[in-house]
Amino acid sequence: MTSASAAKRSLTHIALLALVFLNLVPLFIVLSSSLRSPKNMTDPLHWFNEFTFASFRSAFTRMHFPTALWNSIVLTGVSVVFVVLLAAMAAYPMARIRSRTSRFLYIFFLSGLVVPGQMVLIPIIQMIKSFGIPMNQYTPILMFITCSLPFSTFLYTGFIRSGVPEELEEAAHIDGAGMLRRYWQIVFPLLLPVTVSVVITQGVWIWNDYFFNMVFITKTLDSPLPVAMLGFLGDQQNPAQWNVLFAACILCALPLLLAFLALQKYFVGGMTVGAVKG
Amino acid sequence: MNSAVMKKTMYWFVLPALLFYCLFWIFPILKLFQYSITDYNGYVQKFDYVGFDNFKKLFHEEILGLSVRNTLIYTFVTVVLGNIVALAIAFLLNANIRAKGLYRSAFYIPTLFSAIVVGFIWSYVYMPEEGLIASFLHKIGLNGIDTNFLGSYDKALYSIIAVDIWKNIGTSTIIFLAGLQTVPTDLIEAGKIDGAGRWKLVRYIKIPLLATSVTINVTLSVINGLKAFDYPFVMTNGGPGTSTNTLIYAMYKMAFTDQLFGKASALGIISFALIIVITAAFVFTLNRREISA
Repeated sequence: MTSASAAKRSLTHIALLALVFLNLVPLFIVLSSSLRSPKNMTDPLHWFNEFTFASFRSAFTRMHFPTALWNSIVLTGVSVVFVVLLAAMAAYPMARIRSRTSRFLYIFFLSGLVVPGQMVLIPIIQMIKSFGIPMNQYTPILMFITCSLPFSTFLYTGFIRSGVPEELEEAAHIDGAGMLRRYWQIVFPLLLPVTVSVVITQGVWIWNDYFFNMVFITKTLDSPLPVAMLGFLGDQQNPAQWNVLFAACILCALPLLLAFLALQKYFVGGMTVGAVKG
Repeated sequence: MNSAVMKKTMYWFVLPALLFYCLFWIFPILKLFQYSITDYNGYVQKFDYVGFDNFKKLFHEEILGLSVRNTLIYTFVTVVLGNIVALAIAFLLNANIRAKGLYRSAFYIPTLFSAIVVGFIWSYVYMPEEGLIASFLHKIGLNGIDTNFLGSYDKALYSIIAVDIWKNIGTSTIIFLAGLQTVPTDLIEAGKIDGAGRWKLVRYIKIPLLATSVTINVTLSVINGLKAFDYPFVMTNGGPGTSTNTLIYAMYKMAFTDQLFGKASALGIISFALIIVITAAFVFTLNRREISA
């Protein structure tokens, strides 16, 4: 290794460290303040001058953490399973049949990406009432599934076109396998990489969504984590409440952070499946 | 075209997804067109058709122009700044260095936070007198600077734009990085042999081969910017005044605070048209470039 390239590497490290520091400094302050007792009002920039879980205990009870966590798991889990099943199935003919109908369907689904959820919301409450669909803690699942379809069908269609050879299916067809069997036994299992990507990209936004949940869920004990956070909205402007508020922020983010630590390569790979093949 | 293997009956597979999509996504949009010519208030189920009154009112009021302006600024700054910074980070990360994965994760972490948590954290960062930026400036002895970021008409919009960029930079970086890693090394070697300097390698080999990731990132951030809602909602309530009112936030407020569903629907239709025109323009230009590159 020449000294010139060693110098270049150190420069790259210094630049990256500076950027990472800038990027994460708000989160460090939040973490350090959350580990103080609620009454410790010393300068937050004086990091980690106390270690106690008192603020966490207070946030934990105020946001009904175990209940909220469970609600988040149910909402996200159910939605993601449906998204995978519906989107993968829908993508199959769109990828395999080359016709005007199939092209139209592909564009039709993809164009849903530009529609903001807030716009759909104005009529949807009325519609859900008139369809006789009950409004309860599970109603947001309908919106999560629908909202995820444009991007997920796009990912699946691209992947089936480029990653699942038609020859495999032709061979199975000759062996007498019908369409349903071909799909479930050959195509769907081969979609695993893109399924991981769909689960992660859609799972993260559904887990973090406060909007649809906030609209449909009215009871505290039905709320998932982001909606439980709304209860702290009044504390935002009050420095005396920060330590507890920050503890709540950490608690709310913790499950996804842990999932990310455990499954890092899937998160990073999942983001890029659609992007590179495009 | 359709062989015996890929039969038309395959279309049945689309049905469940199509049903959801039409019922809960397409049908509401059509409904929005209907509401936009009524005086519906969202609660009383009786409403009258008022023709284009809602649109006429909107075009006479300041709020439409202001929200369009704010939304365009929001989109422009997030697209340009967000992608340039993400591209720069991706180039740094693509260097042959140790602990690459660690750095990458560090940039990715903010994308895992819910917008509501991000809003709380940045409200603290921006708070006057006691917030992160204000106390830091005090510490290094700079006292004369106005640190009321979210309370100032000129700074509030740019302050929430910065939050949006911070939140999304990890995603764009990872997409750019994946694009960079597909650039074949022999092309770079060939360029070097032909005497191309570092800038020329970037300009004539790396950037053109990044076309797909640029298209994806720019398109996603254009759509994200035009749909901006979270940070005006969580951090500023559109204020001070109307300085952070984006189109979608203005529409939401009109419907759910002012109970003017009809007028809000009209604003929704206008926003929808604007989003479609701008996104389509981007997609067409970028796709043309990509093919010729």
